[in-house]
Amino acid sequence: MSITVSHLSYTYRTRTEPALVDITAKFRPGEITLIAGASGCGKTTLVRCINGLIPHSYTNGMLEGTISLFGTSNAAMPMAQISQIVGTVLQDPERQIVASEVIHEISFGLENLGMPREEMLDRIHKVASFLHIDHLLHRETFQLSGGEKQKVALAGVLAMRPKALLLDEPLASLDPASGAEALTLMRELANSGIAMVIIEHRVEDVLAVKAEHCIYMANGRITYDGDAPGLMQAVNWREIKLPAPVVIERVRKEARSMPSEGMPESEAVPTGQHSDLKTRHSALGTRHSAPSTQPASPLIEFRNVHFQYGDGPEVLHDISFTMNSGDRIALLGPNGAGKTTLVKHAIGLNKPTRGQVLLAGRDSKTLSVAQIAHTVGYVFQSPSHMLFAPTVREELSFGPKNIGLDAQTITESISRALVAVNLPGYDEIPPLSMSFGQQKRISIASVLTMNPRVLVMDEPSAGQDYANYTHFMDDIVGRDKGPGMTDQSDLPASSSHSRAFEALLFITHDLDLAITYANRVLLVADGQLVADGADVNLATLAQTGRFLPAAELAPFTM
Amino acid sequence: MPGRGGLAQKPVPGFLHFSMLVTWKYKPRNTLIQRLDPRSRLIFYACFLVSVFMFWDLRILLFFLAVALLAVLAAQLSWRDTRRTWLFIGAFILIYALLTLLTGRGGFELYKTERVIATLRAPFTIFNWQPTLTISIEQIFFALSQFARVFSIASMTILIPYTIDPAQYGITFRRLGLPDKLAFAMDLTMRFVPSLGRDFAMTMDAQKARGYELERREGGLIGQVRRLAPLLVPVVIHSIVSGEEITDAMDLRAFGTQPRTWLRELVYQRRDYILIIAGVLMLATAIIGSTLGLGRFWAP
Repeated sequence: MSITVSHLSYTYRTRTEPALVDITAKFRPGEITLIAGASGCGKTTLVRCINGLIPHSYTNGMLEGTISLFGTSNAAMPMAQISQIVGTVLQDPERQIVASEVIHEISFGLENLGMPREEMLDRIHKVASFLHIDHLLHRETFQLSGGEKQKVALAGVLAMRPKALLLDEPLASLDPASGAEALTLMRELANSGIAMVIIEHRVEDVLAVKAEHCIYMANGRITYDGDAPGLMQAVNWREIKLPAPVVIERVRKEARSMPSEGMPESEAVPTGQHSDLKTRHSALGTRHSAPSTQPASPLIEFRNVHFQYGDGPEVLHDISFTMNSGDRIALLGPNGAGKTTLVKHAIGLNKPTRGQVLLAGRDSKTLSVAQIAHTVGYVFQSPSHMLFAPTVREELSFGPKNIGLDAQTITESISRALVAVNLPGYDEIPPLSMSFGQQKRISIASVLTMNPRVLVMDEPSAGQDYANYTHFMDDIVGRDKGPGMTDQSDLPASSSHSRAFEALLFITHDLDLAITYANRVLLVADGQLVADGADVNLATLAQTGRFLPAAELAPFTM
Repeated sequence: MPGRGGLAQKPVPGFLHFSMLVTWKYKPRNTLIQRLDPRSRLIFYACFLVSVFMFWDLRILLFFLAVALLAVLAAQLSWRDTRRTWLFIGAFILIYALLTLLTGRGGFELYKTERVIATLRAPFTIFNWQPTLTISIEQIFFALSQFARVFSIASMTILIPYTIDPAQYGITFRRLGLPDKLAFAMDLTMRFVPSLGRDFAMTMDAQKARGYELERREGGLIGQVRRLAPLLVPVVIHSIVSGEEITDAMDLRAFGTQPRTWLRELVYQRRDYILIIAGVLMLATAIIGSTLGLGRFWAP
């Protein structure tokens, strides 16, 4: 008995192109199936077909083919029955939590099934102790950390005792330690006899827990269905994130097959874990041995910054660092360490409770956010909190108009920013109609047009698939312009076309992103700056991969 | 309840920067009011509301005002937690009462004769019209009564979001007789308000970082409204999208497919019966009194 999908095709009511074309697949109990593919390949639609949202909630599409859930057709079953066979955890746990207290979040599905109270309590306590979240039962859901939220969402689904579990990008919002924990848990669940289906573009990470079955999708079709080693050879490594050694091997083969062309250096090792680690390290070494030749006033300077919200406890303790032209800083640290609170000081949205933040030499307390915006550009994590204009052009001119740039400059910076985020010619498109990945790039461009000297980004890779974020990071950071930034910083700012800013600071959970695009790392834990510099043991970070075991992280967080 | 009330530990980022937003926070407090069953409190509240509406006599209204103030004191809300709400509502009521006093509007059906105690004439004329303000005893007492009515209702209303655990709204409305779906919708709505507030604060921060200043005055009325678009559009779109996602999540867990049970239980205690009886008695007395013609507008 298994979940059997046969000849499934689906077209949404509002589209003409089918989202799924002739999908046939089998998902067996006790196995982990990985479904990979770039955004828009149909992964999410396939999940909606299996869990019954199509056709039960999305009623107007064109559906062909059948899905059998352990012997019964899912079109014939009502949602109440399907929900006890197939459990689904959506991509953003925050968006699916419906109750304000953890215990009621877990009971929600059981209540809907009309279960007696005693049985509910029994199931809740069993699932809570299985997931080790007994201590969370009476917490408020919105106070939970990202990892905790996901476990609570999972608990709410598991309490309904499904035979199959669908997880849509379960790693997207987790820090490395929580992600590793989540993956171990998924293996345990599979071993207990559940059919696990994981949609994830971080293929590398899921393969680490030995997925038995891998499916690769492109343009609504399955283009690969088989075991993990086969997947490595079958898919486009530019679209999804494969383990570094596999990529290096594949790149060598491709290079050999077309020796005259060769691969551009920038594309040769996109995950950048091994072969170009050396060059990067030598670049970092250079930066360190020959310290910055910039004039005295740093772009951003934190001087013994302490911060608390209102009368609450102190969130940041004695943070000091300086940021100079040429710095590309990755800010790392576990969920809830105070990273966002810290970077909000750089744009004046937070002002230190004690200590000082100097922006280009001026105390942030004497400046308004709008004034600071001339110097520092801040890109929020989610583009949906800032896009509003009817066209991309208006969206991009909003910032520069606010800070009083002249029309000529604005026009120039719009076209330059669109090139930087690889969306030239999109001037008249409404941003709200674009894909999420494109929206993210527009949100970055809308800050770039303000010509900031420093660009600050909060989790640029969150909610993005691999192909997307490597594209825009390559484009705006200009990684292919050679290692380090020594060549750039010698040039006058006006001649620098590829990079519109002097320094970059970004928050990330993704160590690869840090290793690939930063030349300096700040590590924050519990509101303290625990490590600063290129000499934070990047080599150690790199070798352990994205999911750093807690023990490895310990030396940095203590 | 561990973890409750620890809001300060992990504040919603940016929340404190948006001073316009009236934010309320429930906190667990060891008070009689919060030990009461929310159902009995809502029943009492409804009786109170209807009773107040029946009277214009300041002497009777002072009784209701006293009940409301007693409830506020018993709730032990700290000034710091509730300051913004009180100031907002206080200012609103004061302006309202003052307007009533100055225009005398609204009182004409309640009193027929006026005893003028002062007539203020403006020392100038506009188009041959001299603005004149007459102040009568009736006018003053009408304004005072108005103030007492609105203030006692407002105080009782403010208590609700501060002292009823938002997690109890669903079951409360269900046990008061609303159908499952409607009761859960009330629950979701109550939590939608703070999440809307958070979205608003985040959008405000994001646009501020793009040099947006809400305070800046430009253009006429239409220009002013247009200036709100960068705030309103993202918040509205975001609400719609997350509304759809929540609907999916609820469908996936079989919401609304059959009659549901509720994990949370509500049990009436003796104090709840006392409160309900008090509320019903108050309402009955009010109805009898007002049908007998008591409690009409009064001025000495």
